[in-house]
Amino acid sequence: MNSSAITPHVLRFIGLVAVQSLLLNQMSGSIGAYFNVLLYPLFILFLPLQMAAPYLILLGFAVGITVDMFVPSWGIHASAGAFSGFARGLALLPFAPKGGFSSKDPIFSPALMGWQTFLQGTSLFIAMHLLWYFSFSYFSHMFMLEIVKKTAAAWALTMIFVALYTAMFNPKK
Amino acid sequence: MGKLLQLLLRNGGFVTFLVVEVISFAIMVNFNTRQGEIWANTTGIFGGRALEKRQMASDYFNLYERADSLAHIIDSLQLRLSNARQVQIPVQDTFFLVSYDSLSRNDSILRKTVRPLFQSLTAKVVKNSVSSANNWMIINRGTSDGVKTDMAVLSPEGIVGIVRHVSPHFSLVMSVLHQQAKISVSLPMQKNAFGSLTWDGGDPTMMTLRYIPQHFVVKENEPVVTSGYSLMFPQGHPVGKVSGNPKSDPENPYFLEIKVKLNQDMSTVRDVSIVQNLFQSELDSLQLKVKTNEQ
Repeated sequence: MNSSAITPHVLRFIGLVAVQSLLLNQMSGSIGAYFNVLLYPLFILFLPLQMAAPYLILLGFAVGITVDMFVPSWGIHASAGAFSGFARGLALLPFAPKGGFSSKDPIFSPALMGWQTFLQGTSLFIAMHLLWYFSFSYFSHMFMLEIVKKTAAAWALTMIFVALYTAMFNPKK
Repeated sequence: MGKLLQLLLRNGGFVTFLVVEVISFAIMVNFNTRQGEIWANTTGIFGGRALEKRQMASDYFNLYERADSLAHIIDSLQLRLSNARQVQIPVQDTFFLVSYDSLSRNDSILRKTVRPLFQSLTAKVVKNSVSSANNWMIINRGTSDGVKTDMAVLSPEGIVGIVRHVSPHFSLVMSVLHQQAKISVSLPMQKNAFGSLTWDGGDPTMMTLRYIPQHFVVKENEPVVTSGYSLMFPQGHPVGKVSGNPKSDPENPYFLEIKVKLNQDMSTVRDVSIVQNLFQSELDSLQLKVKTNEQ
């Protein structure tokens, strides 16, 4: 991977972490407990489709722990990020073209997959991430109902922001 | 060996995932209060019963030693009882001031004047740690025995900790060797000047006493006892001895920084008593009034 291929990912990392910690987390603090938007998983989603799982997991951990530093919620976003890195392959598998993703498909984006496939795959990916995040945030099965309610609310809100972000930047690599 | 390596390489993603999750989990329970407390509580509930069984077995083999330690406990209690008998409590009568021996007489005026302030319950330590930055222990008494949070835990020799979480049969005790533990203590040889005792980590036998004003001339080996101002710990319970010569506190030059050697070796504590202040809720509501008046 040469430097021009890395640049969009680095920019996405910085941009999404900044938006997450300086804007979305602050909004959640002032609007209410059910207003949770986690946009930074998009960094993991938009990593190259051909990237090997260990790198995805380590980069997921890296973006998560960076977000953790701003909250601070040591390790919770990091754990969810690593999980999303691990689970991305599984979440996107049903939406892969016949014969799997090829090197012609650099990333999972609407420009390359079409909006419908993109939104379906992303919904599953984001739902998995949120469920993991809230489970570890509450850290006890006693709050099962609360975890499910928060995940559902956060999923609906996050998907709106995901669609807005993707329409605005239309990432192709 | 070659096959194992191949397996690791083929499942590289899963292995990396496990390793990274274990690291995240360790960070989570060590740096977040909520996750840390739930984790300590959960391991306590599941581990408590097994540990109690193991403790029963090892107790049997240590009976000789334990009989010895119980003899010491009885001895120290007898000493305190005889001390208590010496206390002369003046009772204001309508016409004149009289003194009654507090335990030998039992008339109605005296009963009104001398109220028991604390009641206690014995317990055994089933899990303990002294090596972490923040130490916890589990004792074999819980809500079914009347234990509530914020009760003090003492041993005959010294102070042990404060109850922080309770389950039906066990309690999680924040050890005095926890960075958040602050205990109000006093120096009986310095007109009961009082300060705050905290643990700065490291040596589990030493704690630091702060906020004793500079004009007190504190000497080595002076006794340190509980002040009773924290309301959880009864007044005058032994804590430790002053170790070395006090220095001035670098963060607060008007006060001394005094090293205190604990009487109770926290790594060998077994028999403890849980102490309840019978007027805790009354005192709490009075303290709340102080706060509301200041706002």
